[in-house]
Amino acid sequence: MADKKGTMTDRERVEALLRREKPDRVPIWPFAYAGFATVYAGASIAEAYNKPEVALAAQRKTAQDFGWAFVPMLGYAAYGGWELGGEIKWPSGDFAQAPTVARFPVETPDDVMNLKVPDVKTAGIVPLSKQFYDLSSQERLDNEPFNVMSFGANMSFTLAGNISGPDKLCKWILKKPEAAHRLLQLANEHIIKLAEYWKELYGVEGVLPLGGEPTSANQLISPKMFAEFAMPYIKEVNEKFLELGYKHLYAHICGEHNANMEYWAQIPMGDPGIISMAQEVALETAAKYFPNDIILGNIDPAIIQTGTTDEVYEATKKNVLDGMKLSQGYVFSPGCEMPPMAPIENVKAMNQAVIDHGWY
Amino acid sequence: MASEERTKEILNELHKAVYEFEEDDAVKWAKIALEEGVDPFAATMDGLAGGMVEAGEAYNNKEYFVPELLMCADALYAGLDLLKPAIEASGRKAKVTGSIVLGVVEGDVHDIGKNLVKMMFEVAGWTVYDLGKDVPLDRFVEEQLKTGSEVVGLSALMTTSMLAMPVVVKKIREKNPNVRILLGGAPLNPEVMEKFGADGYAETAGTAVDEAINLLKMLKEEEGS
Repeated sequence: MADKKGTMTDRERVEALLRREKPDRVPIWPFAYAGFATVYAGASIAEAYNKPEVALAAQRKTAQDFGWAFVPMLGYAAYGGWELGGEIKWPSGDFAQAPTVARFPVETPDDVMNLKVPDVKTAGIVPLSKQFYDLSSQERLDNEPFNVMSFGANMSFTLAGNISGPDKLCKWILKKPEAAHRLLQLANEHIIKLAEYWKELYGVEGVLPLGGEPTSANQLISPKMFAEFAMPYIKEVNEKFLELGYKHLYAHICGEHNANMEYWAQIPMGDPGIISMAQEVALETAAKYFPNDIILGNIDPAIIQTGTTDEVYEATKKNVLDGMKLSQGYVFSPGCEMPPMAPIENVKAMNQAVIDHGWY
Repeated sequence: MASEERTKEILNELHKAVYEFEEDDAVKWAKIALEEGVDPFAATMDGLAGGMVEAGEAYNNKEYFVPELLMCADALYAGLDLLKPAIEASGRKAKVTGSIVLGVVEGDVHDIGKNLVKMMFEVAGWTVYDLGKDVPLDRFVEEQLKTGSEVVGLSALMTTSMLAMPVVVKKIREKNPNVRILLGGAPLNPEVMEKFGADGYAETAGTAVDEAINLLKMLKEEEGS
């Protein structure tokens, strides 16, 4: 898509925001690493996760074709189940979006107490992620503000839920809090080993640790539970990442977290952090609680999937105009993963709205 | 036979056991109810189910969240496991409000919401045919035809799996245009529900039953007109 007015590359736009400067235009950095990219490039959704070369080529092509910032990533929301000793099911058929946990590593509180964190180098998807980042770290294109976006930050509670199943974690919070806390400690033990492993392999320059937190949303748990069982663990991990020298952390705060925001605000995100809120949280709310961090846009992905081109354009335009009012910096993105089957004309309408209205 | 006062106490304890998610207490008081000759039907509907209704209200008011509801459900089902055989043995049948086929559509394994919806319907006296998760699309059609259920409830959490919903809606309509179809799940909203050709949208487990009852009323009005 032509962008004739631009004076900056997409990499320069994001890097300007990281220096707390204004770019020429709002950068477009959608959460389109997985199924959308591989489907667009003619591969399957499963290959976004289990074929590193295919996944990287698809992400590169998609970002270049649509004029997006390119930040390569290989990971998945159900991370933890396979990595801590369970089994995974790759997405297949017409409607599956991502890998799911086919067998959880723990069933009972006793299982939790006996669980040992496996060698991180061979855990679950980690070897596939390594293959992916071995390739992605070899290049740094002019649309690429980071060339390794690795899993680990901002996801302790969700990872714990992926080890036991979120329903069990929910129950243990109330009736077996010692098992819930132990599970979260194990999740953090794994994440910290992962952080150290990624640093050993790729250093910290150009590396952006990320994670998503759907399971701690208020659709599932109360803010009080978040304060006790999510916040301290995410904080511990993020502090460790920053201690290791990572400068920026990316948080996808997935789902309805409005009542959790005061606790999220206590978690360090780097200088600046990069905050992606779901559509349930207003941009102003995100900006209020993260006044020094970059805020990502959050139009409802369902609109991109099911809306008309006009609806997508208008929703994007509104988000961009609201986002440009934020003093700390704004990047356009949907509020969650780009739907893998999103109609291309809607994706183009989304882009066009940013290009038409996103100039400073 | 328990006195009226004692019966009231037992029903209150069953109610409390569910509301306060005390599974052991639900079992204990269900046993006491049977031992002391309390009507197992009343123990279920006025005791256990009453506690669950209150828990549902607390959930709607954001006093309870999913952990509490899941634990309440465990207490409910633990008590029910003891009382159900006694109800069946008595030959007494609950007044059935309606029947619903429920399931998470193919490609999706996220079933916490569906399980809560199932429990809410059961508490409200509906017959529930639960197909589980990752359900092949034709199974919804087959089960509706087999059971004659008035309502089919479809759940999806992902923007990919929600695309199965209009396919199921079309398949069901082709076989039985009078069935009412209820959708729920994170990527859904009333606009998407209409685009998918369904009849109702449940934002939470707590609102699903009311929405289904409204759909049933509309269906009966249409059939009567």
